[in-house]
Amino acid sequence: MSAANSPVYDHTIGFQSNQGRGFNNPVDLALNSRGILYVLNRGGPETPVRLPYKRVTICTADEEYLGEFGTGGTGNGEFWWPSSLAFDSAGRLYIVDEALQRVSIYDAEGGYLDHWGEGGSRDGQLNRPSSIAFDQDDNLYLADSLNHRVQKFTKEGRFLGKWGEPGDGPGQFNMPWGIALASDGTVYVADWRNDRIQKFTISGEFLGQFGESGDGEGQLSRPAGLAVDSTGRVYVADWGNERVQIFGPAGDFLASLRGDSAPSRWAQDYFNANPDEARARAESNLEPDLGVGVATRSERRREESANIEKLFWGPTSVRLDGQGHIYVVDSLRHRVQIYRWAD
Amino acid sequence: MTQTNVGLMAHLMRRAGFGATPDELDALLSCGYEQTVVDLLSPPGPADQGALADEDIIRRYHVDQNSLMLIESSQAYWLYRMINTRRPLEEKIALFWHGLFATAYGKLNHAKAVVNQTNTFRRCGLGHFRTLLLELARDPAMIFWLDNKDNHKDAPNENFGRELLELFSMGIGNYTEADVKACARAFTGWTIANPKYMSIRASRDSIWPHGRLDWQFEYLPQDHDHSDKTFLGRIGPFNGEDVIDIICQSPAAAKFIAGKLYNFFVADVADPQAIHELSDEFLRTQGHIGSVMRVLFLSDFFKSEQVRFARVKSPAELVAGTARLAGSHQTADWSIVDLAMEANYMGQEILNPPSVEGWHTGTEWVDTGTLVERVNSAGKEMGDLTRPGVRAIVDRLKGSGKTMSPEETVEACLLLLGDLRVSQSTRDHLVEYAAAQGDFRFETGAIDSCAGPRVAELLQLIVATREYQLA
Repeated sequence: MSAANSPVYDHTIGFQSNQGRGFNNPVDLALNSRGILYVLNRGGPETPVRLPYKRVTICTADEEYLGEFGTGGTGNGEFWWPSSLAFDSAGRLYIVDEALQRVSIYDAEGGYLDHWGEGGSRDGQLNRPSSIAFDQDDNLYLADSLNHRVQKFTKEGRFLGKWGEPGDGPGQFNMPWGIALASDGTVYVADWRNDRIQKFTISGEFLGQFGESGDGEGQLSRPAGLAVDSTGRVYVADWGNERVQIFGPAGDFLASLRGDSAPSRWAQDYFNANPDEARARAESNLEPDLGVGVATRSERRREESANIEKLFWGPTSVRLDGQGHIYVVDSLRHRVQIYRWAD
Repeated sequence: MTQTNVGLMAHLMRRAGFGATPDELDALLSCGYEQTVVDLLSPPGPADQGALADEDIIRRYHVDQNSLMLIESSQAYWLYRMINTRRPLEEKIALFWHGLFATAYGKLNHAKAVVNQTNTFRRCGLGHFRTLLLELARDPAMIFWLDNKDNHKDAPNENFGRELLELFSMGIGNYTEADVKACARAFTGWTIANPKYMSIRASRDSIWPHGRLDWQFEYLPQDHDHSDKTFLGRIGPFNGEDVIDIICQSPAAAKFIAGKLYNFFVADVADPQAIHELSDEFLRTQGHIGSVMRVLFLSDFFKSEQVRFARVKSPAELVAGTARLAGSHQTADWSIVDLAMEANYMGQEILNPPSVEGWHTGTEWVDTGTLVERVNSAGKEMGDLTRPGVRAIVDRLKGSGKTMSPEETVEACLLLLGDLRVSQSTRDHLVEYAAAQGDFRFETGAIDSCAGPRVAELLQLIVATREYQLA
């Protein structure tokens, strides 16, 4: 694959931290109009001592730490299983929670403003809502995962419409995860347990699909978050295959990324403070030959990621900044790997 | 469901797995006992079908159970497996080997390394003992746990070699101190990759910068003692594989493993004749554990009434078995970590045993503190009418469509809980409680709205009995 057809690795943001500078099992990020990153940390498990791991970290792409807000809990503004976040045109931040079945709204500093949503399967009710995206009119599209559908709301939470039902036919879903809108209004949905991406018009008419189960080029295993750029290229966090795949507007395979991370700046700070650990690391082989011994290829990919630090491990989301940068949320490695198009 | 064979099948499933629901018992009874044993040892279904139907869902929603870096997340994940597995014996044998080859998170600071070891137990636990021991000797968690990374040609460390003989395969009295030294020398050079970096990270519990890294086995021939050794009466330039071969051919190892299997799967009190039968099968099959287990499950001594409810349930067996019965935690559910905590409070931190000797079992599981935890935990599950398994038991009783006396209701509940055998005194107390509000009315069109909650309360009381603590 030539470099022109594939993005190149740029740098990594992140460091595992339970609070403060760094991330803890980030699952999504959003960029505001000034390019500031809001990284959503899911953390876990849900024990009292670990609830503070759940938070939003605010930083720049150059790893300037700007602060954090939020914590684990069930009160107003708190998170339990936060899964996705997005800004509206006024700069307010919306965070959806799969456990609390609600969308919470914050100002740019993280001040809690309001929330809406309730559990259930009727129109407007939610069952493990996993991902949200706004259209140009500030309508919010939501992957309503265990209801196997997409729902459309005003940003205040008024129900506007829905499509989808359980199944694997066109327009049907099996636990959809990610949702993204192209600039022309096309809605892309990662149909998680059907291992495919489906395309719809803004009103929910089925336009097409691509992807099938597998780990070859263009095949998918439990796709999670996704993004679409201005040229119509689709970036999919191929979660079960521990990679990111890039498709053309027609669903044609363009490139695959497996992860290339070098230590972040925050990581370098740690090694500077712990030179004995840095020296021992420098003497180590961090890309060992793992041989064989696990049963399936997906298990082998997962084990590779557990052993080789630079690889993606549990990538859950892809975001774009409109400047040619691709942000991959590398959940189990507590970091974001950034790629860019060479051109 | 008749009492005659329910009791035996329920006994098998308590020992070979984590119990069975009434619906599962019905299905198993239609297969028959011998076919069930065959299916336990060689689970039917596609070869690539995993033990769990929804593992992807667990990893999606429990991001912490996807990486398995934290001890409580890893404990919760294993409990989820025990409750929902389609291969109960695979999970049970893993728990058995985990207790025998006890390796603890507490020293390693690396939960996934211990989980990886339990995966080896799932993969190899019913195969040949030689293969299992070899995998264990190459297991990074074991190498770290018993310091074999510090076992060098010029400076042997005897920790792993000693425990291999004493605790893992033969038992004291079957080898000499010289054998221990020779065994240790045979395993020199068996280490993990990047030992210095990994040791520093483990010693300071470093998760930085980007989370923990898995460990890998590495053999360093330049650090191995290639000279002759005398081990269990044989002489040669033995390496680790040779030592394991010699161990596995010894009658002492056969008797040792047979005794451990008997203690875990049959009864807390040893039966020399039964252990002799198992030991013979071990030797006949060159240490094939699955064959030994087949003999065990089909034996008269296993089917005997004498050994039913003759073992105290371990905390893992108690919480997983009760949750399975209650139908709890069948999919992603954050409260499963609380279940793991309950097992911890009862004295069994799975993946973190107290020492290389594992847990002290039998009546030592129960003291005044842990008994309260056991009763509260089981009672919380079975007293909750919203749990699908509890609801299913009530629905079965309703299905009779008749009024049941307190005596009949107690008998029916005991049968549905796997023909639980209780003393006359316990039975009298249960009937007395059940009789406080008279008969249980289940007639169609005249269902007593209190019957369901009363059954749930009765189930709650049954699992609080002394007898329910026994497997």
